[in-house]
Amino acid sequence: MKKVKVRRTILSISSIVLFFGVWWLITNGLNIYAPTTLPSPIKVFTTLIDKITNPNPDGATLIEHIVVSFKTMMIAWIWGAVVGIPLGMMMSWLKPIDLFVRPLFDLIRPIPGLAWIPVFITLLGIGETSRIAVLFIASLIGNILNSYAGIRQTKAVHFWVGQTFGATDAQLFFTVALPSSLPMVMTGLRVTMGSCWMCIVAAEMLAANRGLGYMIQQARGTFRPDIIIVGMIVIGLIGTILNFFLTKIENYVVRGRRQ
Amino acid sequence: MRKFHSTKPMERLVWAIIAIACLMIAWYIGATKSELGIFPSPIEVLKRLLRAFSEPIGTMTIQMHILYSLSRVAVGVTLGSISGIVLGLFMGMNDDINAFVSPLFYIVRPIPTVAWIPLSIMWFGLGETTKYFLIFISSFTGCTIQAFSGVKSVDQTLIGAAKMLGASDFRVFHTIILPSCVPDICLGIQAALSSGWATVVAAEMVRSSEGVGWLIVAGQNNLDMEQILVGIVVIGCVGAVITTIASIIESRLCRWNNRSGV
Repeated sequence: MKKVKVRRTILSISSIVLFFGVWWLITNGLNIYAPTTLPSPIKVFTTLIDKITNPNPDGATLIEHIVVSFKTMMIAWIWGAVVGIPLGMMMSWLKPIDLFVRPLFDLIRPIPGLAWIPVFITLLGIGETSRIAVLFIASLIGNILNSYAGIRQTKAVHFWVGQTFGATDAQLFFTVALPSSLPMVMTGLRVTMGSCWMCIVAAEMLAANRGLGYMIQQARGTFRPDIIIVGMIVIGLIGTILNFFLTKIENYVVRGRRQ
Repeated sequence: MRKFHSTKPMERLVWAIIAIACLMIAWYIGATKSELGIFPSPIEVLKRLLRAFSEPIGTMTIQMHILYSLSRVAVGVTLGSISGIVLGLFMGMNDDINAFVSPLFYIVRPIPTVAWIPLSIMWFGLGETTKYFLIFISSFTGCTIQAFSGVKSVDQTLIGAAKMLGASDFRVFHTIILPSCVPDICLGIQAALSSGWATVVAAEMVRSSEGVGWLIVAGQNNLDMEQILVGIVVIGCVGAVITTIASIIESRLCRWNNRSGV
């Protein structure tokens, strides 16, 4: 049993070594790919270190780009959650709102968040407001979906118990439905965080003068694939870190889930 | 007794019509009365949409734009989901393969598809290959994970029983493992289709000369709000149709699966 584990670890390590080895070999080693097509891993690493303090060629350091993207994303994500979660819950709980809002919601739901970019750029210009608006919609839709489903999946038995003991409608909502919807709500927050992070990259690629999306889009114009790869690594890394923290928070908030 | 509204379909439909009518009226009033002058009324958008079926926008009519985008999605999702499912099945069945592939997989997976756009344009130019590659990436990872977790959740007693009765590995695979993965794989393909549709819009928005993504970006460049809204309506409708078809196919396939599983 222990032997198998050792073999698996060796396999995992060798695959990463092989990956970087082949990457180095086809770039620096054998010069199959020119640095303007595929830079070597060493070049990418030095660019990463250099870009942290160097504002060239796109006018801002890596840190500044990260801060801009992150700030825009957080503002829009939080607003989407603040509006979306109560709205989704009300849609689920109150029949008139469900009947009236749900059709409108179903109307905009199939439209990917990115498709709103041109609308808001035309209406609000290429400033930060239009990017926030796009991300807000992406966050809003996901949060509504999940909080709606969260309230809906409350067990009927729990309502019956509540009613047997004479709970009012408000008590049923706050003490029965709301807590049982939390796992779904938290999943919604995590999922929308991911989609907002994706949308901010796309939005910055189309119209911005700062941010990670802008950085990689500019790097294409100046034939700097090393910066593009640095950008992709940073984007992926931040996405992973955000996901990690939200999973931690989720596990803490809904720790009652595990009986 | 507290119950979730068990509304009759008729009542729902009536309310849906009322709600959408209210939205349209508000939109109409907002568009005609507003000082902005840039926002078209719903009637203008509808007229423009109908006209677009016979009159070309850019170089082609709207149905050709849709077909272009759909064909890109079809090629990319087919390649991505097939290779993703195959990889996921192998990773699920053989732990050595899993140990070898998963580190690389977890390096690549967190990078959102849109972040691949600049690099793929550098590698593959501005042609179709770039779009196929992007849609491939958007569908590949999801399908791999679904197929993998499908294999991992197969009932081990079934496999044990079959093996005890002398079934070969191949037979175990195609009579037990594969059928019980169908629901998971279906979920993966559904997700691949909707993310593929979103990706084609993004890819066409960044660089393209046809397709629905081009439609809305060209509208933005000409400050033509009508064209943007026509594009959005089309993107939403096609997206909804794709999701509906995929879920119908899924319910068919999984009904068969449930019946044979019992």
